[in-house]
Amino acid sequence: MNKSFFSSMKLKITGIVFGTLFSISSSISLSDTVNILGLFPFSGPYADSGKLTDQGARIALEEVNYTINGKKIKYVTRDSETKAGPAARRAQEAIDTEGVKFIIGPWSSGVALAVTEVAKKNKVMYYFSGGTEDISGKKCHKYAFMWAANAWTAMDADLKIFKKANPNAKKIYLFVVDYAFGWTLQKYVESLAPKYGLEVVGVDRHPLGHREYSTFITKAMSKNPDAVYMINFGLDAISAVRQLNNFGFTPKKPVIMSWSSGFEELIQLDPAARENLIVGSNYYYTIDNPENKKFVEAYKKKFKGVPPGYAGAAGYGLMKMTLLGMQKSGSTEPQKVITALEEHKGKNFVGDFEIRGRNHQTVRPFFVLQTKKKNEMKNQYDMAEVVDVSSTEQPKNINMCKDIGSF
Amino acid sequence: MKNKYSFIALIIFLFVGPFLFPNATITEMLIFGIVAISTNIMLGYTGMLSFGQALFFGTSAYISGLMLLGGFPLFLAIPIATLGSFVISLFIGYFCVKREGLYFICLTFAFNQMFYFIAYVWTEVTGGEDGLVGVERPAYIDTQLTFYIFTAVMFLFAVIALYKIVTSPLGLIFKLIRENASRAEAIGYNVRFYKLISFSIASTFTGLAGSLYVLIHSMVPIDQIHWLKSGDIIFMTLFGGVGSFLGPLIGVVGYIWLSDTFSIIWARWPLIMGVIFAIVVLYFRGGVSELLENLFKKYKSISRKTEHEQDIKNTKLN
Amino acid sequence: MTFLIISQILNGLGLGMLYALVGVGLTLILGVLNIPNFAHGVLYALGAYLAFTIANVTGSFYFAMFLSPLLVVLVGFILESQGVRRLYHAHHDYQLLFLFACALIIQEIIIIIWGPIGFSLLAPPSLSGAVDLGFLIYPKYRLVLICFAFFMIVCLYLFLTKTNLGAILRAGIENRDMVKVLGINVNVVFLYTFGLGAYLAGLAGALSAPIMGLTPSMGLDILPICFVVVVVAGLGSIPGAIIAGILIGLSQGAATIWFPEATNVVIYVMMGLTIIFRPQGLFGVR
Repeated sequence: MNKSFFSSMKLKITGIVFGTLFSISSSISLSDTVNILGLFPFSGPYADSGKLTDQGARIALEEVNYTINGKKIKYVTRDSETKAGPAARRAQEAIDTEGVKFIIGPWSSGVALAVTEVAKKNKVMYYFSGGTEDISGKKCHKYAFMWAANAWTAMDADLKIFKKANPNAKKIYLFVVDYAFGWTLQKYVESLAPKYGLEVVGVDRHPLGHREYSTFITKAMSKNPDAVYMINFGLDAISAVRQLNNFGFTPKKPVIMSWSSGFEELIQLDPAARENLIVGSNYYYTIDNPENKKFVEAYKKKFKGVPPGYAGAAGYGLMKMTLLGMQKSGSTEPQKVITALEEHKGKNFVGDFEIRGRNHQTVRPFFVLQTKKKNEMKNQYDMAEVVDVSSTEQPKNINMCKDIGSF
Repeated sequence: MKNKYSFIALIIFLFVGPFLFPNATITEMLIFGIVAISTNIMLGYTGMLSFGQALFFGTSAYISGLMLLGGFPLFLAIPIATLGSFVISLFIGYFCVKREGLYFICLTFAFNQMFYFIAYVWTEVTGGEDGLVGVERPAYIDTQLTFYIFTAVMFLFAVIALYKIVTSPLGLIFKLIRENASRAEAIGYNVRFYKLISFSIASTFTGLAGSLYVLIHSMVPIDQIHWLKSGDIIFMTLFGGVGSFLGPLIGVVGYIWLSDTFSIIWARWPLIMGVIFAIVVLYFRGGVSELLENLFKKYKSISRKTEHEQDIKNTKLN
Repeated sequence: MTFLIISQILNGLGLGMLYALVGVGLTLILGVLNIPNFAHGVLYALGAYLAFTIANVTGSFYFAMFLSPLLVVLVGFILESQGVRRLYHAHHDYQLLFLFACALIIQEIIIIIWGPIGFSLLAPPSLSGAVDLGFLIYPKYRLVLICFAFFMIVCLYLFLTKTNLGAILRAGIENRDMVKVLGINVNVVFLYTFGLGAYLAGLAGALSAPIMGLTPSMGLDILPICFVVVVVAGLGSIPGAIIAGILIGLSQGAATIWFPEATNVVIYVMMGLTIIFRPQGLFGVR
């Protein structure tokens, strides 16, 4: 009956041999390369964005032919699973075994906050796309940058442009996803709405991952608002829009998707269900400038004519920013690259941008789209047009990044 | 004698491990090693399948993280977090061990979800969706090496303690309950009481591991208390094999290594993991440890003792 | 306020009917086969995806609703005959591991076939839009869903109480050995039970698609709810699962009026109360 510690010691040795075989696959990095990690969700609830983001990043790398400042770029990817634990482990593993010095990665505030700690501890640069404002806010530090527009900028743009398009609108009703980022956006909307002559007549918070909005919709409709303003993302937002349409709220009255990925979310909705939506997004593929056209062409070629959405653009944008820092500094050392990026002013495929040194926020345009009716669409991807852009910067006094610290 | 050799082999593994795997990975392997070996006390030795072990892992991680954030020293945070999961395990175990089989699985699963949503909603304390962030490691274990040594020592401590339990009379009672609960009852053992003890031991050590986990990445991600994590814990344990004391450790090492490796090769890697699990269940029910054992036996048929163990296992499975 | 409450009751009913369908399916499999079917959620997802494709290819929503659950039954048959059958004598841990492995495999196959991005499945024009009930406006499809799900539940109930096969299934839940003693081919009974459970999961998935849309992770989202239904109902109680499913749906509806943030938590609060005050479940005997 006595269990042996292990059935035999030699078995243990077999285990070790096995382990050695395992580890052969992990390669050893070379010092004359620049190693960049793309940490994207390839599996898990946001599995859709991983591959798209990765492709976007690769297009940016192909533009420079995988070389920078005379060095080869080694680009590796890891699966974040949209789980903070595995994401942090794999980021650390890539830093240790692949000698990664730069991380780009999108999605999920939980993952971002975990990875930003890893970046800080290991002194590697981290360029983040969007989903929490803490990267350029409460949790800011010298090694992390934020690519998406600031949340305040976004909400300001949504409200401003909505009011311009619907001058008679007075009352809005808020659907808010119930976690930190949702609350932040809600706070901004409530403080900004009066400025544009809008009154928030009701707020409903729903859990993340909610799929059943009928109860909120009936509640909202009883208040007779001029628009429903949604602060939720991805499938939550899609489900809500679909059900608002079922209930006959749209297309009679507009629905605002305030922080949307744009293309990816709209394509999941039937044209009938997406009529009369006002969509705030960090990117839409019809942005009119030569650099964006070049990117869209390259992307379409890879994806059988499907234009890029936010994920693809984020991958491209994050990689472009990282490469820009290297080009400007002539170095591939994170600290020099970071210093070069601070207070940089430039123009790229989303338009004019500046990188603030005090909080590492990329100050850039936020786009507001109006969806098209079915008979106005030229092809299946012609879903919306950019009505307006705005890049008003978040006032310094409400930014939570009080001291970005030092290296 | 054999035990002594295995122990030496384990020590060797602790020394060689950091050269085989990236530092963060091997540290995590040791932490989940504690989880899997202790879960095996309940799963393999007592024959109870709990689908809620992440509850204890996560709760303890939160307690220890909050204490560290509150300025308490590490040598207080770890025992109190462990104690916390012990107390919770008694409370939850009290309700769960009344039921058997599927109902026990359902209950532990549902309790896990309940705690997950508490953690999710109680944002001021747990950080909710964002996780509990900003937990600093004390200066004396701040480098990767010192932290690894610290974890390895804790791991050894846990393994020795668990081994003592398994080889004690208590361990025999657990096995008796697994083999024949009604007989154990007839002999005069209070089966529910001993099941509760087994559940608590597993959960307490899982809690200990959770309190260490918070130190790896200086945070507690919310997914560490999600039921999918409970699933991972069960799979690691079964993957390694519940037939031997250290089998689950191989499961952990294999599981983490395979998932990290496959995830680089193919984005649809969970499919490969699924296939591997299915094959293990259908053909190698003893897990990797038994597979290795059999392979080894083929080359050198010397081990006589394992056959005896094989018999025990077969009676359990059939 | 009254109209709000009435509409929430309707919402809760619609949701509750879906929960009842998946819950009964799981109860059957749990009760008769005595295995923890962790692949139940993914069968639900498969039902939705197959309905989506069939509706797009044939253009008929109704045909999709008819055919897709039957295809899910086919998948259920394969799972049962190729894997689960070999595990009836194994411990629950191996059954669970196997079924979860199947869930992973099917979920990833869904991503490979349909892609990771979600879809909408629109209800046919005759069922879309809203109707004015006089005191409130309510989507037509949801009303039809409530009626249809109710009809299915009645059919199921008649099947289980009035037919021979139904009697065997119920006997199987009560006492599996007795069924064997009576000389009934247990393998066939198990196969049919798994198929019926898969049918109900697939049907619920297909029915939910026009409301909640399709995503690869929808199976993982519904799975915990299925288990809560079973725990609240009491293991193996079919009427219990129906009532528990509807109760959970209704309480979620109620929660949205007063504590919208807690719509998910309320499920687990209900379960906690059940465990404390009635550990065997509302209708449990064992």
